[in-house]
Amino acid sequence: MSSRAGEHGLRLVGEHDEQLLALARSIEALLFLSPEPLAAGELADAARAQQQDIAAALALLGEQYAPGRRGMQLRELGGGYTLASDPASEDAARRLFSRPRVATLSPAQAETLAIVAYLQPVSRPEIARIRGVGADSATASLLDRGLIEEAGTSQFGAALYRTTVQFLKLFGLRSLDELPDVARWDPSPHEQAELRERLLRAGEARSGDSPRNA
Amino acid sequence: MTGAASRHDVADAGAPQTSLTALELDLDVFSGPFDLLLALVLREEVDLLELQLADVVLGYLDHLERRGELDLEVATEFIVLVAALLELKSRLMLGPEDEQLLDIEPEQAAEELLARMLDARRYRAAAAHLRQLLAAEDGVRFREVPLPAQLRKTIVPAPEGSHDPALLGAAVGRLLTMPAAIDVRHIAVARVSIAERLAHLRDLLRRGSFSFNEAVAGVDRMTVAVTLFALLELYKRGEADWEQRECFGEIAVRALVSAPVDGEARTDVAATVRAADVAPRPEAPAHGDALDESHPPLAAAGTGGAR
Repeated sequence: MSSRAGEHGLRLVGEHDEQLLALARSIEALLFLSPEPLAAGELADAARAQQQDIAAALALLGEQYAPGRRGMQLRELGGGYTLASDPASEDAARRLFSRPRVATLSPAQAETLAIVAYLQPVSRPEIARIRGVGADSATASLLDRGLIEEAGTSQFGAALYRTTVQFLKLFGLRSLDELPDVARWDPSPHEQAELRERLLRAGEARSGDSPRNA
Repeated sequence: MTGAASRHDVADAGAPQTSLTALELDLDVFSGPFDLLLALVLREEVDLLELQLADVVLGYLDHLERRGELDLEVATEFIVLVAALLELKSRLMLGPEDEQLLDIEPEQAAEELLARMLDARRYRAAAAHLRQLLAAEDGVRFREVPLPAQLRKTIVPAPEGSHDPALLGAAVGRLLTMPAAIDVRHIAVARVSIAERLAHLRDLLRRGSFSFNEAVAGVDRMTVAVTLFALLELYKRGEADWEQRECFGEIAVRALVSAPVDGEARTDVAATVRAADVAPRPEAPAHGDALDESHPPLAAAGTGGAR
């Protein structure tokens, strides 16, 4: 009796593993086919599986695709899961495709992208106001490269911009929440006070007969 | 404004009844015709800032109502004038720009500048961070191909009655392709010329007569047919005549004995030359050409005549 129950239990476990492996294979196929990251919910809908089974299958896949085991890696990026090439094969890929995967950003493009990433949706005049210089060409090239996209218009009719999933993918981010708080780059209160003092002195020096002196 | 005023004068002269001169205004700072008000404003005798332009417009509307008709020319002119007055007034109210800038205290200006500098500094640092992130991901690639059409979630069906354009292309392509030349090397081409059979018949004719069967003994059907053409040619040229007593019977061919006189012979030559020109000639015989053909009849007739 007990031995039969044991057998039964064993068989069940085996069946369960088989199902999990089959699910992992399905997910692997879906990830291979999709050019965009797939969210766990999308995978569950497509594979007709429960969320917890998807999570288990993804964990299994993650082991199989652990760095150093395959030419691809399972990455969680841009709000979903995707397969990415192993950086170790980049040299070979570069020879095959004869160009780098993504050109580096110019300082103007990086600043514009940072402003869009933190303040989105944000309009071009706003970007220009913060940077102190125009952002037309930087915005255009970021649009071209698919890192930002239009997101409606402001109340004044200017186009608003936001970052894309492509941005998250290329920068290795799961979501925008992974961006550090922008306040961490603020100068210390002491530095700020010094800066303010310098600005004031400069202003007084320029208008010699300012109201304070009068 | 002077331009508008002169245009106004023209309208005045053209239609005094409907012109703006008829517009009498009764305002706080001014009472009188609209024209006069304009002139006073331009000479700065009435302060534009104290003038309620809305009242002027209301006065004009009252004026229109009293008249009971709308002259579009005058109405347009009025709108242009009031718009110009509005622009003048708004400029007076705003005052020169540099005066406004002086209103800001140096502390306030410094604070604003500081806030902007901090913003710029903040996002410059954020930009550096983003570039680091990008560099850390160097060498990671993704599939970037668009999904093939058949794998997309919605497949738009082709409208009814439409076909793959490739089908049309293939159909036209077939029409435009030259068919391969048919290989006829296996067909033995019978090389029988009328000239050759003519010579053969004339040889036989030297005996005076012969039967057609004799002329075509042991030759193939093509040669029989060509020989018959040659015989018809001889008949046409008057060299031979024939007789067949019954259907499918023996055809007896005999040479025409009447030797033509010189004059007749000459016309005959001309006739035969023309006949030879139009005679069926499947291919040029190795011996003799069209002109050569014309001479033998004379010789044949000569021999015939000699007999």
